Amino acid sequence: MNSHRPDALDEALSKLPKSVPTERDLWPRIQAQIEAERPGKDARRGFTPRWYQLAAGVLLVLASSVTTFVIMRDAQERAPAVATTELPRPEIAAMPASFAGYRLGEDYTKARAQLDLEFEQRLALLPPEAREKVERNLADIRAAAREIADTLAEHPTDPLLHELLMSTYQSELQLLAHVTQMAPATTKRVQL
Amino acid sequence: MKSIAYGLLALLIAHAAAGETVERTVKAAPDGEVDIVNVAGAVHVIGWDRSEVQLRAEIGSNVEEVELEQRGERILIRVKLPSGEDGGTSSLRVHVPRNSAVSVNTVSASQTLEGVRGEQRLQSVSGSISTEIASEDFQAKSVSGAIRVTGNGETSVRITSVSGSIDLDNVGGELDMNTVNGGMRVTGGAIDRARLKTTNGQLRFDSALKQGARLDAEAINGTIDIKLRGTVDADFDIETFNGSIRNCFGPKPERTSQYAPGSALRFKEGKGSARVRLKTLNGAIELCR
Repeated sequence: MNSHRPDALDEALSKLPKSVPTERDLWPRIQAQIEAERPGKDARRGFTPRWYQLAAGVLLVLASSVTTFVIMRDAQERAPAVATTELPRPEIAAMPASFAGYRLGEDYTKARAQLDLEFEQRLALLPPEAREKVERNLADIRAAAREIADTLAEHPTDPLLHELLMSTYQSELQLLAHVTQMAPATTKRVQL
Repeated sequence: MKSIAYGLLALLIAHAAAGETVERTVKAAPDGEVDIVNVAGAVHVIGWDRSEVQLRAEIGSNVEEVELEQRGERILIRVKLPSGEDGGTSSLRVHVPRNSAVSVNTVSASQTLEGVRGEQRLQSVSGSISTEIASEDFQAKSVSGAIRVTGNGETSVRITSVSGSIDLDNVGGELDMNTVNGGMRVTGGAIDRARLKTTNGQLRFDSALKQGARLDAEAINGTIDIKLRGTVDADFDIETFNGSIRNCFGPKPERTSQYAPGSALRFKEGKGSARVRLKTLNGAIELCR
């Protein structure tokens, strides 16, 4: 045992801040998203916000997970003597289960699976050409997310990449919501 | 009292053969709601000064019926197609009271609106949307149809497109616009708050910023081209991970890291009243005035 290690550890710990603020204040954007999707005039005119609420829920889980990740990451960076656990590499599949290496947990996975299920059902109602365009654009968004995540793996502390990755996830959710809201009126026979 | 005047349910169904044209006119509240659904063909909405809704429908083949229904102050116009069959093209020309709130929902039908001052909610899968808006809220959604909006004052605009282009002319106030691959262009108007976002599309903004305004523009692989009209009084926060930054005023951009290719440009012009944030991953950013 190195007799100096406890002192070095104490010294490193004493340098840690009492609280660790997140690099990015994500809440204004999340709040704006929720406010924007809150039923107001929509309810009066028969637009159902249920799917949007579900999407907002996923976004909240995602955002809180990311916030936790950023706090943990900052703490790890500021205490190199303590931080020994290596984060897994980023992994973004069609249904992302991680954000820059931070596992998003079961709640996110469940909510996200529900969103994807509804999206697939609605997508099937679109005309073939529109469906193909949506799928192609969704693939573009997911490719962009993968590109950012891969870059983030090389530059794990870059705040711009974190911001853009979060934003790309939001874009994906928006596209899913967009299509899910849109499809009912596009059935061949209009239901009264 | 309005419920007495408009509370009765009126249902007019126009059964017509292909190629026929039907016309119906009903009394309407001057600021009521008009909802229009048509799958294919065209929808043309015109605001007028009468308290009436007038429908003129040119019915194409394979259309079951065109329905005009009145529920209180809400009027619904729907082209119904036979269950499980394709086709069904109809062309609708609808005059509405100028201050009506109008909602149009189409698949491949094009939408054209003029002279409508009330709130508009337009949705099209692949048909184009072209409209004039005033000071009431505006919302449009499209998958691949182009969206063109001409404004006349300040309002709140929300537009989402997947691959269709978005084109705003002389629209001021608050903008919230998203596209994946479509181009986005904002010209004229004075902006209070704008949030513009694209994944791969090209974003062009050529407008004025009001005192205390906020402009957030973001692209992943797309480019951002900003031209600010009038006196520029703003705080700028511009950053790209892998793209270039070119600016016609302010200091030179700086490299953000010796290990990463990105650059950043942060500076204040005037008192810095407005805030401008521009971010890309790979796309180039240009800022001029």
